[in-house]
Amino acid sequence: MIWVETLINGALLGGLYGLLGIGLALVFGVMRVVNIAHGEFMVLSAFFAVLLAAMFPSVPPLLMLIPVIAVSFVVGWAYQAVIVNRVIKSPDPLAPLLLTFGVSVILRNVMVEIFGADVRSLQVGELSRASLEIAGLSIGIMPLLTLVLAALLFMVLQLILRRTEFGRIVRATADRADIVRLSGVKPDRIYNYVMGLSLALGAIGGVLLAVRSSFTPFSGAERLLIAFEVIVLGGLGSFWGALLGGIALGMAQLIGLKIDPNAGLLYAHLLFFCMLLIRPSGLVSSKA
Amino acid sequence: MALLEVSGLQVFYGDLQAVFDMDFTVGDGEAVALVGANGAGKSTFLKALVGLNEERKGAVYFDGIDISRMPAEQVSRLGLIMVPEGRLLFDSLTIEENLLMGTVNRRSGTWTLRRVFDLFPILEERRRMYPGQLSGGQQQMAAIGRALMSNPRLLLCDEISLGLAPVMVEQIYRSFADIRREGTAVVLVEQDVKRALGASERVYCLLKGRVSLTGDARETNPERLTQAYFGT
Ligand SMILES: Nc1ncnc2c1ncn2[C@@H]1O[C@H](COP(=O)(O)OP(=O)(O)OP(=O)(O)O)[C@@H](O)[C@H]1O
Ligand SMILES: [Mg+2]
Repeated sequence: MIWVETLINGALLGGLYGLLGIGLALVFGVMRVVNIAHGEFMVLSAFFAVLLAAMFPSVPPLLMLIPVIAVSFVVGWAYQAVIVNRVIKSPDPLAPLLLTFGVSVILRNVMVEIFGADVRSLQVGELSRASLEIAGLSIGIMPLLTLVLAALLFMVLQLILRRTEFGRIVRATADRADIVRLSGVKPDRIYNYVMGLSLALGAIGGVLLAVRSSFTPFSGAERLLIAFEVIVLGGLGSFWGALLGGIALGMAQLIGLKIDPNAGLLYAHLLFFCMLLIRPSGLVSSKA
Repeated sequence: MALLEVSGLQVFYGDLQAVFDMDFTVGDGEAVALVGANGAGKSTFLKALVGLNEERKGAVYFDGIDISRMPAEQVSRLGLIMVPEGRLLFDSLTIEENLLMGTVNRRSGTWTLRRVFDLFPILEERRRMYPGQLSGGQQQMAAIGRALMSNPRLLLCDEISLGLAPVMVEQIYRSFADIRREGTAVVLVEQDVKRALGASERVYCLLKGRVSLTGDARETNPERLTQAYFGT
């Protein structure tokens, strides 16, 4: 029974991991850029949420998600317009990698400067301890909410990409950025929106993760690693694959912790490593 | 002034010059063939017109508007539309979605999904399929359809018969009658000279980036054209 509970909790945690991955996957899928600073942006949004929660103690902390998402979208838009678009047409694929790496280092140092290196977390009070008892299993409300939210966001994003004109243009731009120009689309503008969307999704993951576990300005690298493992596990470019990849990682982590309480993310990383050896194309290898 | 007026156009790839001092005009509703051997510079010329190759110098007027420095994403709105060599459809969009891409920022006009489907009925059958599931000829129809959805005043077609079965080529060329009935002008870039001449009023021949011959499509002396084509 305790193992069933562990698996369920792992799956719930996986929804959150899926959220960490999906923003990174979106940017990679559309512009073939690995945004190394994705993790730092997530941490930044968590700091922002903590700050807002301190400023408005009477407002439920999770409501802070709304302004954080909005600001993250704008930050992503500007980050792309001012910085990333400059190198995206470079024939050297290292250029965007180095640039976003540089941004991640700068962001980390700026966060240390502003917020200090202390460990923080976002306190949501009772909600973080509340749980449901189902058939003798104890399931946390907060992780459950997180998974439901993640699944909803995946569905909404899927609908936007599949059913709207904006989504069609995004997919066409991902296919052939030069040919969409013949249809009157300016790829750079599409990239701005996509990066905004990516950081908004990352912000949701970043804030929810800050409820679950504490963070410092140095947590970005670990968040990026999870996001990266999620999308490689799920199959690069596959949408639902990212959610599956997240769930696989979440389960591996919690099972690992059960076996060895000091393991941390070790077993999740091991799963990732084994998967790379056995099935490098990921769980879902076709485009979805 | 003609619909398209090009004078002294030069196009470069870095240090390499691919088009030299090109003069070229297309009248309203006219069909013009642009022929030339491999590497003559035909595609380079078309891409420079629509703004996909931005290393260009010289004068280009479309409908009286200076487009010599206009970025590609603004050109489509004027009704200067290219069907690119190799079709270059969007692989993760269905055929219908590919066609709809032509409507994103288009000139106003009469082309609709319905009319494209009437022109190429097979596309309606395959509307939910992806380009990879279609034959080369059907893909070419989709590429032409996508361009038509933008309501072109001048349609630039780059090697639309390349690699297609003869019946397909026949069918696509027949569709030009319908397309031109709207008053749409066309430029036909082809290596199949006979085919292009048969469908055009005037011809330009390109040789190593320069116009080597120009004249009436029906009255051009085949021998002179062969010389102009191969440079012998
Ligand atoms: N991207 C590029 N970079 C450098 N040189 C190029 C590029 N594309 C074409 N060229 C050169 O420019 C010249 C003209 O090429 P272009 O593709 O315009 O010829 P074309 O007439 O369309 O030939 P084809 O009939 O084979 O399509 C050629 O010498 C070619 O090698
Ligand atoms: Mg060519």
